[in-house]
Amino acid sequence: MDEKQLRCLVALQDIDIMIQETEGEQKLGFKTEGINKLKATREELTEKIEKPLFRRYELLRQHYKRAVVPVQDNTCLGCFVKLPTSLTTRGKENIEVYTCENCGRILYWLD
Amino acid sequence: MDFQEFTSYFHPNLFITELKAETKDEALEEIVGVLSEHKGLKDKWLILEMLKRRENLGSTGIGHGIAIPHGRSLSIKEMFVAFARSVDGIPYDSIDDEPVHLIFMIVAPPHEHNQNYLPFLGKLVEILKEEGNREQLAKCENFDQLIDILAGGF
Repeated sequence: MDEKQLRCLVALQDIDIMIQETEGEQKLGFKTEGINKLKATREELTEKIEKPLFRRYELLRQHYKRAVVPVQDNTCLGCFVKLPTSLTTRGKENIEVYTCENCGRILYWLD
Repeated sequence: MDFQEFTSYFHPNLFITELKAETKDEALEEIVGVLSEHKGLKDKWLILEMLKRRENLGSTGIGHGIAIPHGRSLSIKEMFVAFARSVDGIPYDSIDDEPVHLIFMIVAPPHEHNQNYLPFLGKLVEILKEEGNREQLAKCENFDQLIDILAGGF
């Protein structure tokens, strides 16, 4: 597991949010004709993610809407449970993929 | 959203009087660079990738020389707006094919406690639809003037 996997997951979630908000954008008058191109980019990105990790992302997304959540002040901002200090020390570099022991969401350190 | 809340997302450090960029990608990179410098982004490339992908969805050049590149990314803590000008204009694939002179860049996290991202975007579009506001913004030289002009939209 390397840094690129976590970056890919964050980028994938950014794309998923973009796709979800397309309707709201159209109402404001923004062009969204490239939706199929964006979906193709999503597919390309998913191929870069290890299959078990991608499956976990999709499962979490179905359950929680957002699969990857930020960590701030040692707290998972998905379930607001304080994370163990040992996890925060390792996780801060955003090199490996860690999940919240309480809610299972994938963690991304913002601090 | 009231005026106070609307303008709270702008910051003097994110007021770029003259962009050096000559292309859309360069403009996005330059503005994200300023954002990163002043707001300490953990991974500015994730923001940049997101903004470029948003442009692939459809250009955010709304015509009349204005663009509003925008989007949400997990790699940002809170919503920010940067304002930038280009005297020469930047080819931007805008709705009217005209070069862009004024850029409002909006970046927001996926979750905001007050859910202001789309209402903010809507209010900004509304303000920029007014020809008088656009004309004033084209002449705007400092942050205080920018805020004064935006006040006219409330």
